Amino acid sequence: MLIVTSTVRILAFAWKNFTRNAWIGLATVLVLVLSLLSVNVVLGVNAVSQSALKMLEDKIDISVYFKPDTSPVVLETARSYMVSLPQTQNVELLSAEQALVDFKERHKNDPKILAALGELDQNPLGSSLIIKAKQTSDYPFLIEALQNPQFSSSIESKTYDDNAAAIMRVQSIGQSVRYFGLILIAIFTIFSIIIVYNSIRIAIYTQREEMGIMRLVGASNAFVRLPLILSGIFQAIISLAIATGLVTLIIALLDPKLKTLFDGGDSGLLSFFSANAWQLLGIQAAAIIFLVALASWAAAGKYLKK
Amino acid sequence: MNGRFDQTSMIVLKHVSKVYPPDVHGLRDISLHIKPGEFVSIVGASGAGKTTLAKLLIAEERPSRGTLEIGGWDITRIKSRDIPLLRRQIGVVFQDFKLLQKKTVWENVAFALEVSGETRRRIKEVVPHVLKIVGLEQKAYRFPQQLSGGEQQRVVIARALVHRPKILLADEPTGNLDTMNTREIIDVLKKINSFGSTVVLVTHNREVVNALKQRVITLSEGRVISDQAEGKYLLPS
Ligand SMILES: Nc1ncnc2c1ncn2[C@@H]1O[C@H](COP(=O)(O)OP(=O)(O)OP(=O)(O)O)[C@@H](O)[C@H]1O
Ligand SMILES: [Mg+2]
Repeated sequence: MLIVTSTVRILAFAWKNFTRNAWIGLATVLVLVLSLLSVNVVLGVNAVSQSALKMLEDKIDISVYFKPDTSPVVLETARSYMVSLPQTQNVELLSAEQALVDFKERHKNDPKILAALGELDQNPLGSSLIIKAKQTSDYPFLIEALQNPQFSSSIESKTYDDNAAAIMRVQSIGQSVRYFGLILIAIFTIFSIIIVYNSIRIAIYTQREEMGIMRLVGASNAFVRLPLILSGIFQAIISLAIATGLVTLIIALLDPKLKTLFDGGDSGLLSFFSANAWQLLGIQAAAIIFLVALASWAAAGKYLKK
Repeated sequence: MNGRFDQTSMIVLKHVSKVYPPDVHGLRDISLHIKPGEFVSIVGASGAGKTTLAKLLIAEERPSRGTLEIGGWDITRIKSRDIPLLRRQIGVVFQDFKLLQKKTVWENVAFALEVSGETRRRIKEVVPHVLKIVGLEQKAYRFPQQLSGGEQQRVVIARALVHRPKILLADEPTGNLDTMNTREIIDVLKKINSFGSTVVLVTHNREVVNALKQRVITLSEGRVISDQAEGKYLLPS
């Protein structure tokens, strides 16, 4: 009964603190929202650049085109040799027939090409191997390995596009966003602590009469301290709600746009945030409430110690 | 936590000095013994250390030297979390310790109980009781501006009584009041004293001290220069 009464009273005091200093509260909320946003921007950019890298890396492969008259034995030798290498992730053997089917499918709207193909009495295409390495850095070794004399003479051509330039760009963009993002987070965190601390000091100042009376009549420290800390926590919760809303909105607007950049594939943005939604929210809530509570505690403590 | 409640001494100071940094001497080597139920006036010129003494008693300030006991409880180095307990045993009426203008008389008094975590039922019981002691039960729903200076001061006294304090400590409660209002306040203090509370009254008012015919402690430059059982106001005013 007593605990309920006290809790209700402390909450009421806290709410009064909060509404009474609405403008300062607003400024505090703004800074808290900015710091939360900065965290989420860094997370978002990180997710997108990860999935961009993955996409680029997935696209890397070596295509080895064999001469049309290469015997199946040689093809199988080449395939099994490449498969046996530990650096190899995956080898796909595309038969000449399959290549022709694919070719026809690709050009089904182009009657001229199909007609030209019909003129020929033999399949002009050879078989090919599509090789994927386990790691991007393994490709040079695999290209070396294709020099194997058992089948190298049957190879007509190889294509290898390592996407190196694109990968490097994505990596460096991701790197600098992370770098500046962390600086931004640090700055906003420090700002948050300072402004929360000072908004509590201002709250103490605006009600110095009540506070003075509370202390002289022997108010429990909880009654002096908790409303201040709670009004800080109100601010944190409101900031968290606003930031979550904004982040959700931004993701909803941005993700479809990003998808087109990813050829309709996963941009990583929505999937990252939705897969980790509760965890992200929980960690951010815990962090910001902890931060705010600590700053309020310190500000109120400074007053109480006086 | 309070230790043994000592019936023979309510307030005991032993060689208490207070130095405000860097070197202002508020009090110098004060030793005092005040018994339960006493009505003690503290007088002295401005700057003599009267308020400093009052602040030491409620642990608003800590002594630089010496020891301090309230009702047998050594508060010389009281922990800040124990201070609320001490303050519930000492009702205070201070010069700069006013009423909240936006609250009614009732709310002002109730506030002191609310922030101490008292139940609503207890508040409904205590508030009319203390307002009755100071004779303001009829004006419970007025705001401070609608009261005379003396009435306002009586509300402050009522608020100081909500925890049934063993000691009532009043620093210049009649400072800004005329003779009529002053007498009312002193009558209230006497009444509270007659219920058994120890009353410590800091005052400049010669007539008040002389009319009381109670113990008078005179401070000068931080020292006790006189302590008389049925004292008179000594200093030229
Ligand atoms: N917080 C403080 N910091 C520094 N010096 C102080 C402080 N409070 C009081 N003093 C000094 O201590 C001495 C005693 O002050 P105190 O307030 O106790 O006097 P007082 O007897 O209450 O005077 P008055 O009758 O004017 O209220 C004075 O010299 C005063 O300047
Ligand atoms: Mg004084």
